[in-house]
Amino acid sequence: MLNELLLSLAHWLDAMPWSTALHESLYLYAWVETTHVLTLMVFLGMLFIIDLRMLGLMFTEVPASTVAKRLDVPMLIGFAVMVTTGLILYFAIPVRTTQSLWFRIKVVLLIAAGINALLFRARMKAADGSWDRDPKPPKRLRIGAGLSLALWAGVVITGRTIAYDWFDCHKQLPYFLYWAAGCVDEMAAFE
Amino acid sequence: MELLPFFEWLEASALGAAAKAYGGVFAVVQMFHLLALALLGGTVILGDLRLLGVVMTDVPSETVIRNTQKWFNAALALIAASGVFMSGAVAVKLYYNEMFWAKMTGLSLGILFVYGVRRPLLLRFEHASINPWALRLLALTSLTIWLSVAACGRWIGFS
Repeated sequence: MLNELLLSLAHWLDAMPWSTALHESLYLYAWVETTHVLTLMVFLGMLFIIDLRMLGLMFTEVPASTVAKRLDVPMLIGFAVMVTTGLILYFAIPVRTTQSLWFRIKVVLLIAAGINALLFRARMKAADGSWDRDPKPPKRLRIGAGLSLALWAGVVITGRTIAYDWFDCHKQLPYFLYWAAGCVDEMAAFE
Repeated sequence: MELLPFFEWLEASALGAAAKAYGGVFAVVQMFHLLALALLGGTVILGDLRLLGVVMTDVPSETVIRNTQKWFNAALALIAASGVFMSGAVAVKLYYNEMFWAKMTGLSLGILFVYGVRRPLLLRFEHASINPWALRLLALTSLTIWLSVAACGRWIGFS
């Protein structure tokens, strides 16, 4: 049901002239994608630095909260650019992306990374700066930072693999993969 | 100097064969290339934005530069190693790719700039003793070089 709904949404977007124009443009699509990739340096770059501080591996002489607070704005600016360009990229190729196994994993990882970030913030506030000046924050926060690094790395990795056609619907795949990628027609035709 | 034989040799070498053997291996190495890009870019951007007085203004710029340089080195090593591996798979194609040469030119410039100019200057002198416009120029040059290298890298695939 959800797959059919998502697919019809994708077809509706796909029918828009702007979607086709963007996909077939000579330079615009490439520049949107370049912006998406280069902004990794701002968003993920700042995130890496904050997490490395939380792991006690960088800026150990600067209070952890100072690093987190000062880098929060550039990180969120980077995130906003990534989400915006990401949505434009989805709009340019909606049907294939909707049925991409990698894109689906990426969205799940994004949600997980978001929840982890919220939990991390809550934990940081609850600790109330008692460890702020310690070179190495408490274990609970280090685990959160490690998880954050792993989840965001996963988002980048699955984002890159969307470009590969290994598990596209038109390929001969086991039923399980058709199900995971939401290949509605292929599932119906499966014997 | 004729470089084509080198690229032909690279593609025929064991490295080229390994990088070509499985699409999956190439993809995994490329992922590390991307993650290293984020770390390398992050350390460069943070240092330069601090020199420009945009972020972390309450932390001495000497502290920011000192903390970012070690991780810049690690990221550069990872990005270069993964880059060499990937180039093994498509060496001859790269030889004829303009964006590849633009990127290599920018990269050489960047390495000379970091280890020959930016770092000696910023680590040896107190930043307050350097002309503020020289610091700003240093930061803008650094950002321009590394953003160009990254953009050219992405465009190797488009051209």
